[in-house]
Amino acid sequence: MRSYIKLTREDRIVNATVTIFGIVAFLATFYPLYYLLIYSLNDPVDAAGGGLYWFPRQFTFDNYAVIFRDEQLLNSFLLTVARTALGTLTGVLFTAMGAYALSKSRLVFRKTYSMIGLVTMYVSGGLIPTYLLLQKLHLLNTFWVYIIPSLFNIFNALLFMAFFRQLPEELEESAKVDGSGDFYIFARIILPLSKPVLATVALFVAVNHWNDWFSSAYFVSNQQLWTLPTIIVRMLSDTAIIENMQSLPPNMRMDPLSTLMAIKYATLIVTVLPITLVYPFIQKYFVQGMMVGAIKA
Amino acid sequence: MKEAMATPNKQGGGTWKKLKSQWTLQLMILPCIAFLIVFAYIPLAGNIIAFQNFKITSGFTGSEFVGLGHFAEMLRDPTFHQAMKNTVLLSLLYLLVVFPMPLLFALLINEIPFRRFRKLVQTTSYLPHFIAFAMVASMWIILLDPKGLVNETMQLLHLIRHPIEFWTEPGLFRPLSTLISIWKETGWGAIIFLAAIAGIQPDLYEAAMIDGAGRIKRIVHITLPNLVPLFAMLFILKAGTLFTGNLDHSILLGNSFNKDTSYVIEYYSLQMGLELTRYSYATAISSFQALMSLLLVLFANWFSGRVSGNRLF
Repeated sequence: MRSYIKLTREDRIVNATVTIFGIVAFLATFYPLYYLLIYSLNDPVDAAGGGLYWFPRQFTFDNYAVIFRDEQLLNSFLLTVARTALGTLTGVLFTAMGAYALSKSRLVFRKTYSMIGLVTMYVSGGLIPTYLLLQKLHLLNTFWVYIIPSLFNIFNALLFMAFFRQLPEELEESAKVDGSGDFYIFARIILPLSKPVLATVALFVAVNHWNDWFSSAYFVSNQQLWTLPTIIVRMLSDTAIIENMQSLPPNMRMDPLSTLMAIKYATLIVTVLPITLVYPFIQKYFVQGMMVGAIKA
Repeated sequence: MKEAMATPNKQGGGTWKKLKSQWTLQLMILPCIAFLIVFAYIPLAGNIIAFQNFKITSGFTGSEFVGLGHFAEMLRDPTFHQAMKNTVLLSLLYLLVVFPMPLLFALLINEIPFRRFRKLVQTTSYLPHFIAFAMVASMWIILLDPKGLVNETMQLLHLIRHPIEFWTEPGLFRPLSTLISIWKETGWGAIIFLAAIAGIQPDLYEAAMIDGAGRIKRIVHITLPNLVPLFAMLFILKAGTLFTGNLDHSILLGNSFNKDTSYVIEYYSLQMGLELTRYSYATAISSFQALMSLLLVLFANWFSGRVSGNRLF
C-alpha cells in the first residue's frame, strides 16, 4: 500500500521494532507447543539429558504407545467425542429454536421472555445450589450432566437473534402463504440459511464441551464417565502415573522418572493436537462470531 | 410470578386468540424459558440456604433458619479473609497488567509491514484461547518444572546457577498466573481492537501524512485515541470482576506450597461445600461474593454513564 512512498528512518525503526516483537510473540506462542511435540517424540532417557531444542534426537513412538495402551484414556477420549457431538448438536438447535421465536416481534410475551433471559446474564445461582439442583434432578454422576445443563446459552441466543433479525421478512411471509407452520419455516427455511451463525455458535459450544474440565471433576465421581481434560489432569499428577508404571514395557522401566516426563509430554500432545490441526480451517468462524458479538456489545 | 407468565391463561381474549394462532412459536420458546427457570432461577432461589442450616435430608423447606449466622462466622474466619485478599490482589494484577495487553498487541499487529507475517502472528496468537485451560496449566507446570525447558535454558545461558522452584514458591504464583493469562488470552482479546482499528477512516491517516506526521505520531494521535472509548468501556466491565477469583488457576496451578497466594474465594467455597459438605456455609461465602460483584457491576455501569454517557444496560 505504502510501497511507492520512500520509507523514512522512523518507518524503518518502527518496522524493525514491530517485526522483532512479532517474532517474539510468535515464538512465545508456538514454541512451547512445538517443544512438547519434539520432546514426546524423543527417547525419554535421552531427552532427560537436556539440550533438546529443534528436532527429536532419538526418534521414537514409544511414549505414545504407552498412552494408547491405557484403556481409561481411550475410553475417555471416545466419551469426550460423544459428549462434544451430542452436546453441540442439542445445544445449538435448542438455543437456535428459542432465539428464533424470540426474534419475532409478533411473539406474545416477548418482553417478559427477554427479561427472564437477560436477568440470568447478570446474576447466577452459584455452585452449591446448582450442585444440589443437579443432585435433585438425578443428573449427578450421569452422562447427561454434560448435556442437559448446557442446552441453552443466553449469549449464543443473542448471536442467533442478531442473525435472524437481518434475514428478510419476505422469506417467512411467502412460506406462510403456502401454509407452512412456524416450526417448519424455522427448520426448513431459516436454519439452512443460517449456516454462518450456526457454524460459529457450534464451534463455540463444541470447544466448551471439548475443553470442560470442571463438570467431570466435581459432578461425576465415576471415573469411567470422566472426560479427557479431567483424566489428563489426574494422569499428570505423579502418583497416578506411578500407578500406571507397572504397565510400562521393560526398557522404559529402567529410568522411570525420565519416562514419566516424556509420557506427560506425549499425553499433552495427544489432547492438544486435534484442536491445533483443525484450528487453521475453523478460526475464521471464531473470528466472525467474535466480531458479531463485539458489534452487539 | 414467572410461572404465571409462562402459562398465560388469564389473559384477555385478543391475546388468547393471538396465542392460539402462534402456538408453535410459543412451543419453541417455552422449553428455553422452562430451562432458564430450572437451571438459573431455582439455583438463584437456592441461595436461601445461606440463611439456613441446610441438610439434604430436610430439604429447602425443612431446614432450620439461622439468619445471618453463617455470614457472621465467615467474617470471623481468617481463611475467608486470606482468600478474599488473594482474589482481589490477583484481579487487580490482571486488571493492570493482563487487561491492556490486547490493545498493545493489536497496535503491534497493525504495524507489522509484511502481510503474510502479520497474518501468521495474528492467527497463531488466537490458538491458546482454544486449548483447554487444564492442558495449558499442565503444559506450563512441566515446562516450568525444575528440570523443565525454562530452567534448562536459563541455566544454559548462565542466568541462574540452580533451578528455580517455580511452583512451590508462593511469591511466584501471582506473576506466573498473570503471565499464563497473557499467553492464553492476549491474541484473542486483540480481535476486538483490530476490528476497531479497521473501522478508523483511512482519510484520517492520509491527512496526517500530508501534514507530515510520522508513523509514531499517527499511532499516538489517530489509532490510539480511536481505541480509547472501547478500551474504557471494556475496562469498566472488567473492573466489575474485582471480587471474582480465577478458579481454574487456583485449582490447577495452585498447590499446598503456594496456597497462601493461590487460594481464591471460589475455591474456598467449593471446598467447603463439595468436600466438607458444609453447604450453607459455602453458599454464604459465594452469595456474599456474588452480591459484592453485582453491586460493583451496577456501580461501574452508573459510573460509566456519568463519565462517558455510555451505559451498558
